Amino acid sequence: MASTTSTSSTTQEVSEPRLFGLLAEFSEASNLISAAAAIRDAGYKRWDCYSPFPVHGMDRVMRLKPTVLPWMVFAGGFAGATGALALAWFCNAYAYPLIFSGKPYWSLPANIPVAFPLTILLASITTFFGLWALTGLPRPHHPLFTSERFRRVTDDGFFIAIEATDPCYHTATTTELLRRLGAIAVEEIKD
Amino acid sequence: MTTAITAPIYETGFDNTADDVLRQPVLVTGHATYQEVTRKVCRVAEAPRAPRAWYVCFAISLALLALLMAMIGYELFTGVGVWGNNSPVDWGFPIINFVFWVGIAHAGTLISAILLLFRQKWRTGINRFAEATTVFAVACAGIFPAIHVGRPWFEYWLAPYPNIMGDWPNFLSPLLWDACAVGTYVTVSTLFWYTGMVPDLASLRDRATSRIKHTIYGIFSLGWRGSARQWHIYERANIILAALATALVLGVSSTVSTDFAVSQIPGWHETIFPPYFTAGAIFSGFAIVLALAIPARELFGLKDLITRRHIDNLAKLTLLLGSMVLYVYLMEFVIAWYSGNMYERFAYLNREFGPYWWLGWGILFCNGVVPQVFWFKFARQTWWLAWPAAVLCIMGMWMERFVIVVVSLHRDFLPSSWHMFAPTWIDIGTLAGSFGLFFTLFLLFCRYLPMVAMSEVKAILPQAAVPHGGGQTARSGAKPE
Repeated sequence: MASTTSTSSTTQEVSEPRLFGLLAEFSEASNLISAAAAIRDAGYKRWDCYSPFPVHGMDRVMRLKPTVLPWMVFAGGFAGATGALALAWFCNAYAYPLIFSGKPYWSLPANIPVAFPLTILLASITTFFGLWALTGLPRPHHPLFTSERFRRVTDDGFFIAIEATDPCYHTATTTELLRRLGAIAVEEIKD
Repeated sequence: MTTAITAPIYETGFDNTADDVLRQPVLVTGHATYQEVTRKVCRVAEAPRAPRAWYVCFAISLALLALLMAMIGYELFTGVGVWGNNSPVDWGFPIINFVFWVGIAHAGTLISAILLLFRQKWRTGINRFAEATTVFAVACAGIFPAIHVGRPWFEYWLAPYPNIMGDWPNFLSPLLWDACAVGTYVTVSTLFWYTGMVPDLASLRDRATSRIKHTIYGIFSLGWRGSARQWHIYERANIILAALATALVLGVSSTVSTDFAVSQIPGWHETIFPPYFTAGAIFSGFAIVLALAIPARELFGLKDLITRRHIDNLAKLTLLLGSMVLYVYLMEFVIAWYSGNMYERFAYLNREFGPYWWLGWGILFCNGVVPQVFWFKFARQTWWLAWPAAVLCIMGMWMERFVIVVVSLHRDFLPSSWHMFAPTWIDIGTLAGSFGLFFTLFLLFCRYLPMVAMSEVKAILPQAAVPHGGGQTARSGAKPE
């Protein structure tokens, strides 16, 4: 049962606890993979696996789509490169042209030392913020944090959570399925 | 907790350095369960008191940091005349220290990023640690160009912004290149370091016993839940950041070397400079990671995670990079002779036989000869040989920066303008103080943050490997049981 002590956030003014779903614990990464495959085949859509480290092959089993992150990074890097070159051209060839050592006002090779780091800078910043945007973080509170058992997910716990909003969800049958797949514990999560 | 696959147990101190091509090398020794990994790493941050040696080191570091603040304060109030910089050696200690610290910063990103791209699993024991040295070393490096400009309160002039004077910065100026390169490097290495740390901060959050720790680690772990959908994106982001950081490592050192190479001074005006600086930078970075890892694994009881194999590999890489540096040293002499240019020839004869001859030979000894001891396994595995060798390499790299900056400048084309350089006590105090800043930050990191990347170490434990059959079953859609 959902414990009320030491949750990460303090939303304790619970009028009526809403059912989030079921949390099942598995003993090993390999059990988690096989259980995930079965849950996928059973037709569930709103569910996720939780593990202390990325389990190899899980994205294939869960049929996760490739992330759009690389395209966002490319856009960021492209903006950095063109922005830096445009800025250099604007400053040194258009707004304030000066001759330094008889060099041309603007040339591509001479401006690479600035354009290169700015490309990397914008691409990295896009990666960083894109990562958190796509993973839905920061998120201080999550219904799963009400589970005392779930605290082990960052230590040695392997979990599957199926949300109550899933069309296939039915507390009794889903619990039964999870138990049959080898879950060592199944609990209801209320938030 | 029952384990389906029983992991072989390698006792603490197990010699995992042997290379048996038929077997996977053992990367984690001791009783390596997931819980053990979490416990071993977190216990450093959770202990109510640090080891006594930590307090002693921290007190010394804080004293040096105070010295740095005093030196910078004195310099700001008095002017750059307090340093030994004077014509013809207008670039003295500030630039030497800047290039030195930028170099130190390089191994962290390299170990982390390049070894990640090459899928070198042993990196997981030391990558967090190495990334931390990067972030702190760049912080030290950034100070020097900032104070070297003399009036740091006008540094915003480097930024392109519409101003009342109607002028714009010169994008062909090495000062602007440095600002872009170092600014980008400090940002990207911090982002990379922090992104890697989020799942481990979540471990500390979930183990926190006090409300305040729970809140602080909770804020910085962003509410990480370790879900497969999160890991999926997270792993991709880490690879992208690694690829960007790798390109940046090569870019930053090349940019710093270009500050020299675009000038006309004999000893600076060379096309070999970008790869030369990069090799030297990575070499000094490996040496400092080696020099820090040897005491840290003893002091914080991390011998099972930073194993003898890690030290062995670090020593081998130091040897490799040291040999590359030696090659460049020798190649510079060959090119000076082969160029037929009398100024270039003189610069290199002066380096070995001029007034700073002891530094010229010193760098050949420290960076060329000393790392060669790592050919011998005994030297790689014996701390009282490996540690002094690493420290000599670091000192050698500082001397190399001195030789490049001062020895090239003090005798240029016209003998009437030759002059010797002597540092003042402010110069020396600032250099010593920068080590104080580095070690203060590093010791705080060791004490309060996860020093080893737990989630990555867990992923390389034998029991984390999912049998290939599991994936097959999953793909074909057959239900187990």
